[in-house]
Amino acid sequence: MIMNADFINSAEPRALIVEDEILIAEELKERLSRLGFSVIAAVDTADEGIAIATREQPDLVVLDIRLRGEKDGIQAAREIREQVDVPIVYLTAHSDRLTVERAKATEYDGFLLKPFQRRELQTTIEVAMQRRAIRARQKE
Amino acid sequence: MSAPAASPDFFTPSPFTKRLAYAIMVGTVVTVGPFLLWPALAVLFFGPNDYLPHAFCYLRRPALVWTHVTADSLIGLAYLAISVTLAYLVYKARRDIPFHWIFLAFGLFIIACGGTHFMEVVTIWQPVYVFSAAVKIFTALASLMTAVVLPFNVPTILALAQRAKTSEQVTATLRASEERKEALLREVHHRVKNNLAVICSLFYLQSTHTRDEETVQMFRDMENRVHSMALVHERLYGSENLARIDFAEYAQALAQDILSAHGSPGPPVQLKSDLEPVIMGADLAVPCGLILNELISNAFKHGFPDSVGGEIRLTLRNGADGKCSLLVEDSGAGIPEDLDINRSKSLGLRLVRSLTQQIRGSFDLVRIDSRTSARLVFTVNDHER
Repeated sequence: MIMNADFINSAEPRALIVEDEILIAEELKERLSRLGFSVIAAVDTADEGIAIATREQPDLVVLDIRLRGEKDGIQAAREIREQVDVPIVYLTAHSDRLTVERAKATEYDGFLLKPFQRRELQTTIEVAMQRRAIRARQKE
Repeated sequence: MSAPAASPDFFTPSPFTKRLAYAIMVGTVVTVGPFLLWPALAVLFFGPNDYLPHAFCYLRRPALVWTHVTADSLIGLAYLAISVTLAYLVYKARRDIPFHWIFLAFGLFIIACGGTHFMEVVTIWQPVYVFSAAVKIFTALASLMTAVVLPFNVPTILALAQRAKTSEQVTATLRASEERKEALLREVHHRVKNNLAVICSLFYLQSTHTRDEETVQMFRDMENRVHSMALVHERLYGSENLARIDFAEYAQALAQDILSAHGSPGPPVQLKSDLEPVIMGADLAVPCGLILNELISNAFKHGFPDSVGGEIRLTLRNGADGKCSLLVEDSGAGIPEDLDINRSKSLGLRLVRSLTQQIRGSFDLVRIDSRTSARLVFTVNDHER
């Protein structure tokens, strides 16, 4: 399925996956490419994610909240957003209030629960990219 | 007929009441007894005499007289108030602090001290010095008794304080271990859910390696089944006690997920739900969730063949004695009339049948007008609620 071209600049939007569960990252890769994305990288630590996101400035970052290492996804989102404005979609296996509250305190464009449903993934990503497009238009 | 609950009344007094009554009796005998035995005592105490009231000593100077009166009255009242508070404290804490004669000794000592100060006020105008002397002797005895008894009770009081401290420590340890247990349980639910998510990913990845629609559908069915199990753990993770979930909330979330999974391109299907809260443990919620998943998925697959759409109605009733019923209806084509649920070879129905057996429930299909209702009846045990 090809994304609505209204809010996609290049022919193939580029996505970055930050997820420490490698098989879930694989599924995401597959699903995102079916949605018309080219996945530039799938990494499993916050630091790698921050480095690639700020260098490559992808059109979408899908970010797991629980990650290997010191930093978690929420911290990574904060650092990425300080430097570049990219749509960020959180991914988590738990929907407890504390995590949601902590995530809410950062800027993000979508929230996905694992295991995700096909439609859910698509609409969440669409909404996230739309939000980014609106922000970009407001800045002009 | 039920017998009235046994409670301590006048005829079966509690040990505390018994001791208090005993103390009051002794007190009355000690104070009234001497007057009864020796009536001349009253004359000696209160009869006319040649002594001069204290006011004479103070040369009836109002400033001095009233300073004494005020000070002594205040001291007396304060002593009285302290002993009343002490008595109230002992009464209130009678279940927590073991009754002890030391409290009574203290009370008596304080009241007596107050009495001597009140006597000071009286003797300013009335020279009842013999009675005043008697009150002083009584105070001296009470003070002496308390002074002697108190040191012997130091170990008991210290033990009491130690016990209070120990129980506080035990409470803190218990709370900490409770918190650790909770954190561990959360972690377990998170891990289980994460692993189930990985299984879903595996099914998905495998499904991308075939073009055969039927095979893809099989993997999707498996993914949905695992998803229905993962959802139980997600709910458990967010639940208060980490052991039970509200099946109404779960059913709503699952139905919505299945709805979004089946979404467009497909017939528009509305979800109508009327769910009463049913609290249950994970061992019941997992099979119930799997059954519900089959029923809703089945309604989607076979209920709406002619892209017109329709609605799926979910009803959950929480009846008496934990007997619950779950109804899944669809407004679509429904189930073939000649379908025998006990012989059907479809995996979905086989799963429903087996899982119903596992939860000791009953399952049947009802066809009213154009509506097909699948009904599951099961019981939530008391220990699970």
